[in-house]
Amino acid sequence: MQPVHDVLLLLVVLTNFWVLGTTRLSATIRATAVQGALLAGLPLALYPGLSPHILGLAVGTFAVKAVLLPVLLSRAIREAAVRREIEPLIGFAPSMLLGALAVALAFSIAPRLPLPELRTHVLVPVALSTVVIGLLVLTTRSKALTQVVGYLILENGIYVFGLSQVERVPFLVEVGVLLDIFVGVFIMGIVVFHINREFDSLDSARLTELRD
Amino acid sequence: MSTFPVFPILTLLIVLGLAPALPGIANRTKSALTGRRGAPVMQLYADLAKLWRKGVVYSRTTTLVFRLAPVVLLSTTLLAACLLPLDGQAAILGFPGDLVAFAGLFGLGRFSLVVAAMDTGSSFEGMGASREVTVAAFAEPALFLCFTVLVLATGQLQLDGMFGLPLAAAWPLAAPSLVLAAVSLFIVTLAETCRVPVDDPLTHLELTMIHEVMVLDHSGPDLALILYAGGLKMALFGCLIVGVLAPRAHQSRAVALAELVLGLGLVAVAIGAVESAMARLRMNRVPQLLVAASALAGFALILLLR
Amino acid sequence: MMLLGAGLCIIVLSGILARALERRTRAADRAFRWGMLAGCAPGLWAAVSLLVSQSPAPASAGAGAAFGLDPLSAWFLIIVLGVGTTTAIYGIHYLARERPGRRIGTAHLLLAVLITAMAGVVTAQTILAFMGAWEIMAITAYFLVVFEHEHAEVRRAGLLYLVLSHVCIIALVGMFAAWGGGVAGGSFQELAASAVHQRAPVALVLVLALIGFGIKAGVVPGHFWLPSAHASAPSHVSAVLSGVMIKTGIYGLLRVLTLVGPPPAWWAWSVLLLGLASAVLGVLWALAQHDLKRLLAYHSVENIGIILMGLGLGALGSVYHHPALALLGFTGALLHTLNHALFKSLLFLGAGAVLRVTGTREIDRLGGLVRVMPRTAWAFLIAAVAIVGLPPLNGFVSEWLIFRGLLGAGGTAGALRSASAAAAGLALTGALALACFTKVYGALFLGSPREAMVRESAAERGLVAPQLVLAAACITIGVLPILVIPAAMRAAAVVLQGRGAIDDVVAATQAASRISLAALGLVGLTAIIWLVRAGRMVRGGAPVAATWGGAFPTVTSRMQYTASSYAASLLALFGPLSGTHRIVGPTSFQVHTTDPILDRVGRPLWGWLRRSAQGLRGIQTGRIMWYLIYVISALLGLLLYLWLVAAQ
Repeated sequence: MQPVHDVLLLLVVLTNFWVLGTTRLSATIRATAVQGALLAGLPLALYPGLSPHILGLAVGTFAVKAVLLPVLLSRAIREAAVRREIEPLIGFAPSMLLGALAVALAFSIAPRLPLPELRTHVLVPVALSTVVIGLLVLTTRSKALTQVVGYLILENGIYVFGLSQVERVPFLVEVGVLLDIFVGVFIMGIVVFHINREFDSLDSARLTELRD
Repeated sequence: MSTFPVFPILTLLIVLGLAPALPGIANRTKSALTGRRGAPVMQLYADLAKLWRKGVVYSRTTTLVFRLAPVVLLSTTLLAACLLPLDGQAAILGFPGDLVAFAGLFGLGRFSLVVAAMDTGSSFEGMGASREVTVAAFAEPALFLCFTVLVLATGQLQLDGMFGLPLAAAWPLAAPSLVLAAVSLFIVTLAETCRVPVDDPLTHLELTMIHEVMVLDHSGPDLALILYAGGLKMALFGCLIVGVLAPRAHQSRAVALAELVLGLGLVAVAIGAVESAMARLRMNRVPQLLVAASALAGFALILLLR
Repeated sequence: MMLLGAGLCIIVLSGILARALERRTRAADRAFRWGMLAGCAPGLWAAVSLLVSQSPAPASAGAGAAFGLDPLSAWFLIIVLGVGTTTAIYGIHYLARERPGRRIGTAHLLLAVLITAMAGVVTAQTILAFMGAWEIMAITAYFLVVFEHEHAEVRRAGLLYLVLSHVCIIALVGMFAAWGGGVAGGSFQELAASAVHQRAPVALVLVLALIGFGIKAGVVPGHFWLPSAHASAPSHVSAVLSGVMIKTGIYGLLRVLTLVGPPPAWWAWSVLLLGLASAVLGVLWALAQHDLKRLLAYHSVENIGIILMGLGLGALGSVYHHPALALLGFTGALLHTLNHALFKSLLFLGAGAVLRVTGTREIDRLGGLVRVMPRTAWAFLIAAVAIVGLPPLNGFVSEWLIFRGLLGAGGTAGALRSASAAAAGLALTGALALACFTKVYGALFLGSPREAMVRESAAERGLVAPQLVLAAACITIGVLPILVIPAAMRAAAVVLQGRGAIDDVVAATQAASRISLAALGLVGLTAIIWLVRAGRMVRGGAPVAATWGGAFPTVTSRMQYTASSYAASLLALFGPLSGTHRIVGPTSFQVHTTDPILDRVGRPLWGWLRRSAQGLRGIQTGRIMWYLIYVISALLGLLLYLWLVAAQ
């Protein structure tokens, strides 16, 4: 049978597809919450033995990624009064196909990366594809909230990648979880300023005004 | 074919007999879950008997194409049933790559029904035909991705070679892929059998229908043939799903048959449960669902190709 | 070979007769008809007897001969002569209606030369013979495309065709130059020998072959000349161009593969992917068309894509040492080449009959023609079911072979397994083709007539028999694939140079007999259900009423779903990829079709080329002295180059 951590990783990819394919923001948030819960389970499955370090990591991840951020995001929806992603740059079906392509690429590239032996060979491709899909959501959706979700997914990908290095580099993952503070700040920005559309700073055309 | 396939034919006859009950079970489940009583499970049998006794009325614009369509639809569905190992082990007719013929036969049935709809010269039926082929265009790749997953998991090219032992042997190695493929297959089934969230068999507004609006002008025995073929199609796709999820390798034939009947019932219940839980999708969102099914099956394929 | 040569002479001669006897119409028609029949018979006989003979194929047909016949050539020769002759005979009646206004003898002569040239292309054994026949084929096809040259759009289409066909000739000349540099006689055998020794230019040769033959075959993105050219030619010529001539590109690719042996892996993969792109995009663009003949022409792009997928699979099989898969792929490609020749020419002949009867090619103006021209309608239906690849017709058999190969690739190990994912693309192609041909058939033949009036319903006469011949061929191959699969495998074995295994042939013939069984079962079941149902029918015919029209009391033909709106919802889902451009007004709805490659890539590129070539205009002084100076300086430059090379 398949080991538990592999199943968890595959479910992470499925939640990515869920985010790509849904129009409702509430469903998107639910998907990220599920993804957060899956990520919290991952260290436990990857490093059985229940060391306090791993246990703390799991609990912390769950608290931040599966509870805190989704709750904040749902509040943001209420505050900014947005329900649906209306006009994505790339349609939902094409973005899903692009996501599938990203997964295929990740799975074909991952074995060739010069990485040390890992417990599972699914981990790196899942991390890669999660990062790419996060970028995809970040760049193709026009609502600020969905972009925050995209950033969150991107970060989740980095988190998964970091999990492979827990034993070698201490506190790498913990620092990664701390990055979620940024997400919190984004969301608070949305709540406070009632931002509905994308952030102004993403308008790269404005950057040309910076020249002499 | 060295021996006469007695048991497969017996199984086929049982499936043929049970097929009209499946839409009934699905509808009954939906009613029960939404707090209503609903029509009896055997409703379709009564409908078929009534329609078969009735006369027909043909539209003035129609030609032989229109009269031939229900017949071709049923005969293709019957032949597709012969290709499928209904008892999980042996089919009546099988050859390497017969899964292509399986899909092709349904394609021919669809072709004839769509062309018959165009034959009436009605705007409603043309619209239904247009929607039908649109949905089919997105369901077909998903179906073939599922087939590819099955071929890769079992190494067999023949429907009656792949179900049963090879699939049972593949489960421990490729469980995630097979689960994903089964889910994808289920979505394809919803689309192919015209159920919610793709189509609603119980709607009676022409503008919102897909399959039903295509057959508006068929009446009497013709309509009976079409309805029966629809029930049989649901049974066949149900057999595929049961075959994937519960490969019957070592059971005795009677047990395998019992499992099939039970499985078909569960698939119909699942369809009814989905119907009660979901609203129908907007027409332009349906392809998205089917692309999602393709993405699932594609992901299953990637996992196997790794 | 002598037999074939004599037959081809008769074909050309009958063309000359048709031209010479133009004043005496009956004699000219009769001479052309019997001349074509008599001329194609010996060639067909030679080809068929070579393909069915059990003895191993002759290693070569005379070492020094310019033309020769092996199973691969024989397979294509059957397509050229069989389909060519059928369409030529159709052309006699088809063109007879234009007799007062046009010199139709010229068209007959050109078609005879075109068929002969194509026969030459597929049997040539030396570079010179091949390129000569190729050039004659390209030029005569041009004259046939611009046959109705009084229309500006026809001239434009002809020009586009001429330019593109010379681009591919340049690529082919480059290919042979890169390859045959060290070969003295320029025969294919020497080329094969040289390919074994020097692997370096093989990559260049294969890329140039893919460009040259790919443009000829109409592979996306080199397809954009094809729809306008094939739509502009007279219908029976369209049938030859679309059904047969573009297949010379496929022949060329197969022949090159025969000569160089297993290609590099990247080449095989790119062929598979190009095939996939052509298949999906071709059918998508076909779905968008309003013009019947353009639609059919885009379907040729699709089917070339399917053939190319088979070819790519075959190449992959030989790269990764899976001879069984390679055999399946090549056999599927060859069989689909034949099948496509049959049903596509049948469709064009049907389109020609519709054009003659109604005078229009616009799908949205037609309707209900099954009552006016029932035999054409049924033949068209057979071709439509066949081209969609549905059982029990021939299109299914070849697509089944390719599908089986693709899925079979999944059962191997290593990189080749990923090829199985292409099966989903092929399935998408099939489903879109179903949408497209239900649209065409429904709009053209079924329902009630739309705007276009039937001009002369008698025009169908004389155009039916050739269609029935082709339809019968489609049915025969579909029901009894055993008749053609072994022959196709013999032809495919040439490409594999004997690397195929005999087991595969046996397995394929067994499966073929099961397909026959299934096809007969389908027919039998249909008949039984029909009879059972007929027992339920009221004697004296069922009551007839108007079509159910919702709340409206009457249904008029203007309320019918048009072909454009039929396709619109599907096309809209593909966005800009579909090449359609919608204009929605308050009470109006228009869909315009474009060719994305031609309009987004081809024309801008051409404009850029013209602009950047402006600077070169200065050398065009008009004074003879300057031209002589150019010639002399070019000569001196070459001499200098030679001297420098020799000095090294």
